[in-house]
Amino acid sequence: MDKLLRRRGTYVCRSCIQSFQRQPRRGYATAAPSQPDIFDVVCVGGGPAGLSANPVTAHLRMALVEAQDLSKLRAWKLPPDRYSNRCSSLTPASASFLDRIGAWKHIDRDRVQPYHEMQVWDGVSGARIEFDSPPTNGGTIAYMIENLNLISGLLKRLDELGGVAMYDSSRVEHITYGEETEEVDLRQWPVVHLSSGAQLAARLLVGADGANSPVRTFAGIQARGWDYDRHGVVATLQLSESTPNTFKTAYQRFLPTGPVALLPLPGPYASLVWSTTPQNAAHLKSLSSEDFVAMVNAAFRLSPVDLAYLHTIPSNHVDELTWRSQHTPFPSPPTIPYPVTAVQPQTVASFPLRLRHADSYTAHRIALLGDAAHTVHPLAGQGLNQGQGDVQALAGTVAEAVQHGMDLGVIGALQDYNGKRFMGRDGGLWSR
Amino acid sequence: MRATGQAQRALRAARPFFSSKSAAGVLPLTTSSLPLSPSPAPTLSQSTPSKPRLHSTFPASSSSVNATELSHFSSLASSWWDPHGPSRPLHQMNPLRHDFIRLCLGPSYPSPSSGPTLRYLDVGCGGGIFAESAARLPTTREVTAIDPSETILEVARQHMRGDPGLKGKLRYLNRSIETLEVPGDKDKYDVVSLFEVLEHVDHPKEFLRRLSQFVRPDGGWLVMSTIARTWISWIVTNVVAEDILGVVPKGTHDWNKYVNVEELRELFKSEGGWSEPRVMGVVYVPGCGWKVVEGSEKIGNYFFGVQRLD
Repeated sequence: MDKLLRRRGTYVCRSCIQSFQRQPRRGYATAAPSQPDIFDVVCVGGGPAGLSANPVTAHLRMALVEAQDLSKLRAWKLPPDRYSNRCSSLTPASASFLDRIGAWKHIDRDRVQPYHEMQVWDGVSGARIEFDSPPTNGGTIAYMIENLNLISGLLKRLDELGGVAMYDSSRVEHITYGEETEEVDLRQWPVVHLSSGAQLAARLLVGADGANSPVRTFAGIQARGWDYDRHGVVATLQLSESTPNTFKTAYQRFLPTGPVALLPLPGPYASLVWSTTPQNAAHLKSLSSEDFVAMVNAAFRLSPVDLAYLHTIPSNHVDELTWRSQHTPFPSPPTIPYPVTAVQPQTVASFPLRLRHADSYTAHRIALLGDAAHTVHPLAGQGLNQGQGDVQALAGTVAEAVQHGMDLGVIGALQDYNGKRFMGRDGGLWSR
Repeated sequence: MRATGQAQRALRAARPFFSSKSAAGVLPLTTSSLPLSPSPAPTLSQSTPSKPRLHSTFPASSSSVNATELSHFSSLASSWWDPHGPSRPLHQMNPLRHDFIRLCLGPSYPSPSSGPTLRYLDVGCGGGIFAESAARLPTTREVTAIDPSETILEVARQHMRGDPGLKGKLRYLNRSIETLEVPGDKDKYDVVSLFEVLEHVDHPKEFLRRLSQFVRPDGGWLVMSTIARTWISWIVTNVVAEDILGVVPKGTHDWNKYVNVEELRELFKSEGGWSEPRVMGVVYVPGCGWKVVEGSEKIGNYFFGVQRLD
């Protein structure tokens, strides 16, 4: 469909395009232009949500603003035995959406690991739930993918399509409303002012700019929620052995301080997400690699009382784990993960966990996507998938507006998006 | 003819809550088949009592514009583009207009890749809800939109300035159809649209004849939407919508001017040179917007399109 739509030409009139073309897109280092460049869609944020939004609306005059240098992201490459510590769990629905917009084929599939089973249990009682997936999905519950692999694939797809003006290595300095001139009245159009001096006027300004979204702030939309008083500790791990890539298991154990999860990557590798108190997180980051590995193994085996003690000692976790394991009954792999043998260098990191939900996903000439609209706890692996769902819905709304000649930035055109994504969202979002 | 096209649509919004079956056989009014006499008397319906018409404010004495309608719609100008204002049902209906035009043109509707080709004349454009949207389509070469109310056209022109994409594709003229010069055949319009206007016109038959001269021979379309004159539409538009719910400004509708689909069919058949009409009945469901309901053209709001053959 996007191919079909791409041929449609643009909303922006010829004279505007000409004035756009006369101006260089970059290099406003000294003097800011008095007239902004006019776009149908300006997307702030080149993360997974923002990048996915661009191919599906590529028939319009589009601009993408990203603080990072995209050429570095395009060229992203790691050796086959190294994995990034920032991974996401991609549902089959999200994967098929990426396939439809032509991005899936650009993703390095050798680094993507589907998993087919989940073992989830309680750290205090041992009560356990096992999940599998019906064979209709090929038995796949979800795909573990490095965020950078996804971003790099989306960028390659955008390059393939062309037609999107890229403003990378550009910070958003501020956002204002436009001005009225003799020619045109842009007083209701958001204008994004970039650190390079460029000014981009947007028929629709898409905020895919994360939890602290400047676009959301500009729109005066409040985001409500709370901090969990927990940090997520991530790391890339190597296990002693593994099941074949054709049948992998994800593990999650609920501890009194929060859930700890081990998600499979290809071969003997796995991705850790351990939500715990900020003090525990700081402690984990302070440990030697050997002690850190011992703590991760302990988290899937020892009792909460033992773990609490291990969080109080500065070292010697390897010996403590060995001794305590002899006196603690726990199941054998693969009911629990195979023992972790190593943590990859520089992959231990942590970030605060919070919940935020915007009061609305739309305002006049504004739409919020992904974390800008909703920031969620990672325990269910839904953050990125909800963002992909937003993108699908917004793309449908925009296509409908274009088909009927609507101004795609006005509330009347956007209300369908807000209705689909905002309404009914609360039930699944407010989990503690 | 009528005052400003757009305002009126607001009115009709309400009517559809009723099931079409209960309504069909019960129309209380006998409608004569269209009287073709060019008498100054009213409309398609002979049972309609004529009201005094005040033509004095509009320059063209032969105008279809009714002064009362003109002032009514002019007073709505400021709220025209408020998506939650009195014109909300019109905004909600607008996508259906494009769907209906696509339905009429069928395979001859240009593909977006073929560039801008279609020329529109929007009669009774009001604040420009349809005119702007038509001009935005990549298949549109130009839109000429006319309305007798200068007050509302000011709103339309001002609103148009807020979208740089419309420049050069859309022009507004303060004219009635009677004062608009009929172009030569090759400059006639691919689509002449008349949305929520006919029910506000004093002499619909003469008015439509005049309009026909602007349709491109050999394939152009005259596309309109209006309300059937039934007891249901009387209750819904005049009583429920205007008095009870207040979703439509008071005084928007004169039920006596409503035109039934059979009357239009008869008219175009007797005139000759037109295709079989395409008809699409629509119903307003509060909270959901407009829905296409087969057969509902006999009850309330409907679209009507005919193609000029000769």
